[in-house]
Amino acid sequence: MTKSDRRSARYYIGVVLVSLFALMCVVPLIYMICVSFAHTSTMYIKFDDIDFTDFSNYVYLFVNKDFGKPLLNSLIVVVVSVIIVDIVSCTMAYGFEKKPIPGKKPMFNMVLATMMIPTQVVFISLYVMMRKANMMNTYVALVIPLVGAFGIFMMRQFIRGVPNDFIEAAQIDGCSEIRIFLQVVLPMVKPARVTLAVFTFNSAWNMFLWPLIITTRNEMQTLTVATSSLTSHLATNYGYPMAAATLSFAVPFLLYCLMQKQFVEGIALGGVKG
Amino acid sequence: MRRQAAYGIAYISPGMLIILAFCILPIFMTLYYSFTSYNLAQSPTFVALQNYEKLFTNSQLRKALWNTVIYVIITVPLQTLLAMFVANFLAEYLNNRYGRFLRSVIFIPTLVSYVAAATVWEIIYADKGGLINEFLGLFGIKGMNWLGDPKTALICVSIVAVWKSVGYFTIIFYAGIMNVSVDVREASIIDGATPRQRFWHITAPLLKPITYMNVTLGIIWSFQAFDIVYKLTGGGPFNATSTIAYVIYSYAFQDYRIGYACAIAILLLLVILFIHLIQQQFFEGKED
Repeated sequence: MTKSDRRSARYYIGVVLVSLFALMCVVPLIYMICVSFAHTSTMYIKFDDIDFTDFSNYVYLFVNKDFGKPLLNSLIVVVVSVIIVDIVSCTMAYGFEKKPIPGKKPMFNMVLATMMIPTQVVFISLYVMMRKANMMNTYVALVIPLVGAFGIFMMRQFIRGVPNDFIEAAQIDGCSEIRIFLQVVLPMVKPARVTLAVFTFNSAWNMFLWPLIITTRNEMQTLTVATSSLTSHLATNYGYPMAAATLSFAVPFLLYCLMQKQFVEGIALGGVKG
Repeated sequence: MRRQAAYGIAYISPGMLIILAFCILPIFMTLYYSFTSYNLAQSPTFVALQNYEKLFTNSQLRKALWNTVIYVIITVPLQTLLAMFVANFLAEYLNNRYGRFLRSVIFIPTLVSYVAAATVWEIIYADKGGLINEFLGLFGIKGMNWLGDPKTALICVSIVAVWKSVGYFTIIFYAGIMNVSVDVREASIIDGATPRQRFWHITAPLLKPITYMNVTLGIIWSFQAFDIVYKLTGGGPFNATSTIAYVIYSYAFQDYRIGYACAIAILLLLVILFIHLIQQQFFEGKED
């Protein structure tokens, strides 16, 4: 970067434009949080209506709308899916990358090709399957579509980076297969596993279409579905739906603040390597 | 060697079974149902190509297909170009603390679910007292019913989608630009290339694989737009914002016309594959 770049008017205009752009990204969310602390039956929200010490909209959600349940359901779905996706992705990626399985190339390509398939194509028949198996309104059904090719693809990129010498050395030392996987391979790809967990967390927490169709009982709804059903029959106080939306935003946002590096680097690595 | 193969099979089998049973099998089931009439109550009856024949005369579907194409044409170029320019600016000129702060801020909308996003954008777009109309009011401009007017509704929905996904693509581009070797860029500075020349002649060509991936992801995601339409407009007004994914949802899960919905889903799959092929040609053709 040269000094003339820095001084030019164009540079400052650019800085202002990009700053404005960043501001536009967060203004809707700030507005959402403000309204969630207001009581208003009309759209006209005055700044006097906003009281950040007044949590009554949130209290209403938990007391009158039983929001504890969808919150708990979403947390259960997230935790279970993070664990399952981690196990499936690591084992499959390791098998595909490091083991001489006959016919593994076409098999892996088949798995990869599922990333191109629109979810609707899968969901209709998966719904029929779950309905026939009496598995609607179960956590298993909620978690299943989160297991997919993306994690396997991503973990394979990283397991490829584990040198074969390490694995062979461990084999010569008489290390059992299970121990090689658990104590040699997995520790070396730990950052990638954390990134994958963060990704899975976000997609499990925010998924909407699948829980919408697979849950018919209110007590199995996830937070997104509960938030969505709130507005349709509660247009009287805009604070309620905004409080629900703020709640569903708060959890991934906190995680982002704590693990920004994993979010950003994960996407970057996925993009650059993919 | 044989033992290693056996281990390998042991590693991939559990995951492979899950993917075969719950991802690949449903694809073929959907293909099968698309040739049947099926309403969940009775078992499916084979009707050959009847569902597909009906696709051609369904005006609601034609409208949805058209809407989806417009939605893709608005969102994909907008989010790709915006992300590319913002990422380039951040990487080239604001490679400091403030730049990294902006980058973290731009990523935040990616964390929001479409449901939460639609919940707040609904009152931002609102006719009376909505944030946009209030803002316009300050300058004495009369606002309008953004989501209630068939002319503006689809554009409004697209803007929310761009708002939500641009941060994701910015991060990918940013990493890609940082990966363009420092030597190459420094050499171009020494050779006296202006920043604009540097972008068009060095950064952009080297970013082609990443652009290709961002466009591919963008197209695949945009063609499946559902959450935001469901929550923000419900497909209205007068089907002005109904997308293919929304039509599939309402046929399959509101009317329980499974066979017909499956035929539309297969159509969506074919459209995505077709566009993907064209796009591949386009990107490869330019390389020569």
